[in-house]
Amino acid sequence: MERELEAMLARSEQTRARLDRLHDVLTSGGHYGTGATPATVVYQENKLRLLRLLDESGQPRSGPAVLFVPAPVSRYFVLDLLPDRSFAGHVAKAGFDVFIIDFGAPGEEDRFADLEYYVEGLLRRSVRKVSAITTQPAINIVGYCLGGTLSLLYTALHPATVTRLVLLTTMIDGDVKGGIAWVAHQMGLAGESYDDPRLVPAVEIKGWFEMLAPGSNSLIGRVNDLWERLDEPADRLRDVRTMATWVDDVVPAPGRLLAELYHQFGPGRNRLMARTATVGTRPIDCAAITMPVLSASAAKDLIAPADGVDAIRSLVRHAEVMRLAGGHVGIVAGRTALALWQRTVEFLKGT
Amino acid sequence: MSESDASKSEPTLVERWLQDQQQWQRTLFTYLDSMMKNDEFLMHMGNAMRGSLLAGKPYPTTPPQAATSTEDAATADRLDKVLFALHQLQGQMQDVLMTLDEIRGARPIRLKPDSTNAKAIRLKPDSTKKPARATRTASGARKTGKRRTRS
Repeated sequence: MERELEAMLARSEQTRARLDRLHDVLTSGGHYGTGATPATVVYQENKLRLLRLLDESGQPRSGPAVLFVPAPVSRYFVLDLLPDRSFAGHVAKAGFDVFIIDFGAPGEEDRFADLEYYVEGLLRRSVRKVSAITTQPAINIVGYCLGGTLSLLYTALHPATVTRLVLLTTMIDGDVKGGIAWVAHQMGLAGESYDDPRLVPAVEIKGWFEMLAPGSNSLIGRVNDLWERLDEPADRLRDVRTMATWVDDVVPAPGRLLAELYHQFGPGRNRLMARTATVGTRPIDCAAITMPVLSASAAKDLIAPADGVDAIRSLVRHAEVMRLAGGHVGIVAGRTALALWQRTVEFLKGT
Repeated sequence: MSESDASKSEPTLVERWLQDQQQWQRTLFTYLDSMMKNDEFLMHMGNAMRGSLLAGKPYPTTPPQAATSTEDAATADRLDKVLFALHQLQGQMQDVLMTLDEIRGARPIRLKPDSTNAKAIRLKPDSTKKPARATRTASGARKTGKRRTRS
């Protein structure tokens, strides 16, 4: 009897301690809502802002230019999450003049934006602006996720303007099962209209991400996961909150862009691998990509499966391919991200 | 310390149970306090209950469909198309401006110093302004689009 009471008391204490930590987690901040590194806006177009990171004294850095291109369907600051957890900040401190694109949140009218608008419009002009500011005719580009796809397409069209290309968890082979494209396919992305597009609500895109791993990313799974994690130390929980708040913080997406991405690169279409991809009317020829390329995949990536990412080998034969332990977000902003940051810096320095 | 002393200092099961109850009250009051004082706390709780940890913002929901007529929707659609076309034009204009900057070499051009402003300024296309004096290149030739004529 006494032993049973002891066990009950222990459970009660554990539950209460978890609730106390949950209170602490919920009353602490998540992500900053902006990048962590001081930056100045050097170019604006529609909702896009081109940010240039500043040093400790508030001055722009010198050195080879690096442009970070995030995915337009999520917040840019995953690449500059916290002062000690910033991919872009790490690269800047290594001696590069770092720029980041913030695509912003599209408005209703942006539902008409297509792939050409992003690649030949927003991205091309951002590269042009970076080149003009730094007086460097060619710059380094680091593309993350869908931002990597845009960067790859841009580089194939304008190879002379890119010194080195880094692709982070960028899906190449759309026929590899799993990942966000497959889930979106299952959830009806094929029904998105190119001619009569809608602004796909953030809640719907969030739904696709939650469907990726029922049991872990699903509603019940995540509540359970959080409850179990509440035994962890407070600083670890703050990390969880920071990452989770970014993952949750998706933005709406232009339906025309999603329709085009699906019809060009989605399951069963796979036009990158078939070498029939186009941007507007211009064909994409990856043979034009002759500069050094680094591609990183994440072994536990549920959004862009590693096999689909590593398929870059068949398109760009000289690409250096690395597969890291971790997930889609973890390898760029998690506790183990330093390995990727270091390799990226070495690669950008040509070592 | 003897075994009896040790057992005296350790709280009994009943005492521990009472302490735990007090702690539960404290936890409960902390939550109530936060709910009363912090307007956002309920939102954070709601987000957590939905498996989300969204910081400082409510869980995304589908925006309610505005009750508009087909005619209004068609007008809004046309306006959106016009607005997006303007965004595209803005981009093209930026391309033009960047090209002009490239042509000018994006170098600051020094105007004749006057009493009010002797600072170097960038030459901007403006038909109302008197054309700035062109800079000389290393070879001594003027950098202008016009052919030089002998006087």
